[in-house]
Amino acid sequence: MKALKLFLLTVIFSFVFVTALTAQDLSLTGYARNYTGLLLNGNNDFSIIQNTFNLNIEQSKDFVAYKVNPYMYQYADRELEIGLREVYLDVYFNSVDIRIGKQQIIWGKADGVFITDIVSPKDLREFLLPDFDEIRMGINAVKLDYYINNNTFELVWIPTFTPTRYPGGNSIWQIQPEFPIEPVFDYSKQKVEQSFKNSEIFGKFSMLTSLIDLEIMGAYAWDDDPTMHVYKQIDPVTHTLTGLKVMPEHHRLTIGGGSFSTTLGPFVFRGEGAYYSGKGFNTTDPAIKDGVVEKDYLHYLLGTDFTVWDIHTSLQFIQERILDYNNFIYNDEVQNMGTFLAAADYLNETLHLKFFMYYDFENNASLIRPTITYDVADGFTALLGANIFTGNEGMFGRFNENDMIYTKIKYSF
Amino acid sequence: MKKAVLLIAILMLTGITVHAQEKLTGLEIMKKVYNRPTGNDMEANLTMILISSSGNERVREIKQYIKDSGDVEKKIMFFIKPADVRNTSFMNWSYDDPKKDDDQWIYLPALKKIKRISSDSKGDYFMGSDFTYDDLGDRKPEEDTHKILREEKLNGEDCYVIESIPKDEDYMYSKTVTWIIKDKWIGLKKEFYDEDGEYLKILNIKDYKKIKDYWIITQTEMDNVQKNHKTVMKLSNIKIDTGIPDSKFTERMMKRGLK
Repeated sequence: MKALKLFLLTVIFSFVFVTALTAQDLSLTGYARNYTGLLLNGNNDFSIIQNTFNLNIEQSKDFVAYKVNPYMYQYADRELEIGLREVYLDVYFNSVDIRIGKQQIIWGKADGVFITDIVSPKDLREFLLPDFDEIRMGINAVKLDYYINNNTFELVWIPTFTPTRYPGGNSIWQIQPEFPIEPVFDYSKQKVEQSFKNSEIFGKFSMLTSLIDLEIMGAYAWDDDPTMHVYKQIDPVTHTLTGLKVMPEHHRLTIGGGSFSTTLGPFVFRGEGAYYSGKGFNTTDPAIKDGVVEKDYLHYLLGTDFTVWDIHTSLQFIQERILDYNNFIYNDEVQNMGTFLAAADYLNETLHLKFFMYYDFENNASLIRPTITYDVADGFTALLGANIFTGNEGMFGRFNENDMIYTKIKYSF
Repeated sequence: MKKAVLLIAILMLTGITVHAQEKLTGLEIMKKVYNRPTGNDMEANLTMILISSSGNERVREIKQYIKDSGDVEKKIMFFIKPADVRNTSFMNWSYDDPKKDDDQWIYLPALKKIKRISSDSKGDYFMGSDFTYDDLGDRKPEEDTHKILREEKLNGEDCYVIESIPKDEDYMYSKTVTWIIKDKWIGLKKEFYDEDGEYLKILNIKDYKKIKDYWIITQTEMDNVQKNHKTVMKLSNIKIDTGIPDSKFTERMMKRGLK
């Protein structure tokens, strides 16, 4: 598989290089950006000092196109990071498009929530704070789209599994799992070996009509997040816990879902839902030796967008529900979350105010993200923002020490 | 940005043709402007130059395609400049049925996602310019009460001067006054008055030409006198009746862009 990957990359790069040399319509776009964040913890610690260079090299001719998207992150306190977010080749036929290579694939109608949008794994090293094109990782895939009028059948084959990328040990975004005693981690089962049998397949039908936009999807994929299998060592005499071994392992999932979007007067109504079969959850049931039980799981969203007093507003309600639940399961049976967005433009659309919030109903916690962006000149923007975490528990409350203000100075070309 | 879309072309194509000897009402004149034939399809490059009170200029460039299939007119726009909105696309389906709202979608390349948006805010400004969607031609003549004020020459052209007062008292303009060339049915100049009756802005047609028997306005200038902000709008590389296929106005093309 490595040889195949190397071969494909060599072919793509050779094609790009040769074509670029002879091309007259080569498109070079991208941006340079400084992102500086300051923690509001009283110590004036920088949460991030990052300089980014992102380049999009694109070219098309007749029925063939390609894109190469190298990026570079330079940090004050970390090693230089250079990578390729996307490198792919497009081939266009009359009613079929084929894309081969490293690519980001985005599905669904939800904003800021991942329900059917599960093809590209997430880079969560900075939690959910980066721009979404930086959260979604490119994956090596073959994507085929077949078009009939405004209907699209899409098939994605991912030969090699890529998991979620998590923060490192020193990161303020790392989540420390809670155990009664210090565990020993065994990562021997975490890696999904590269083989045809372990590849992933995703399919989607989408239609775009005057009445409604619709997507129906299905997948046979790996859970991007590993399940923690926990093996307990119990003293046979005292029956006390003497040791814990934790083995992270990715589970196979069968997923079916869909999404819709339609308008009614000034309102846009959106919905998205997915049924996950075989998702692993931690349980305290003493009869289960590895502390994991597989349950089916439902994740869905309803939302609306509208404009009031020239303020573009969006509301979303999201629910996660574990089916066939029992009280041994560590997670809550139902988790409810909401999002709220308000955005407005002023000064001939040179000044942009935005307020976005996630709200975790179960833990009474939230992430509040206000921003002010000013377009200094065409392509040159300055942003001042804040990330405020409220509450003490849950996915937002646990970061309540990480409140920060930040600036982003960006030049696009 | 979601508004960054449509109707520019309609404005550019808007004209009128009436027989000078007929005695027309104000509404009939405005209907002729609105319904003037503009071909079955058109592609063009649109450039907008936004000029602030201090003289700073910002430039927006768009490639647009329009096709009229009888009961529905479809448009798709691809944003080229500024760089931070490049590859954004916008699609609008507009229906002859006055009861049916337009359908609109926007493709945001950073999100790699097509979003359906509401077409309800036609009084919103287009891409930070001084044109609202209604200014760009989406306002139907029946929405206003029209009166012929006088006939006079403007720039050497015989014109009707028409006063239009919105039937909806809450509309953003209290009235507009338009100078319409009699034999070409082009609105040569238009004055806009705000909700308080104060003079707000003026539209001047700077250039127009005949392409394939259609009068096409190729350059306009909207001057907001209250904000001292101006927008120059130019159409270039205009191609009419080339047979743009229906497949141009699809999800596939929104994502693919100008490739």
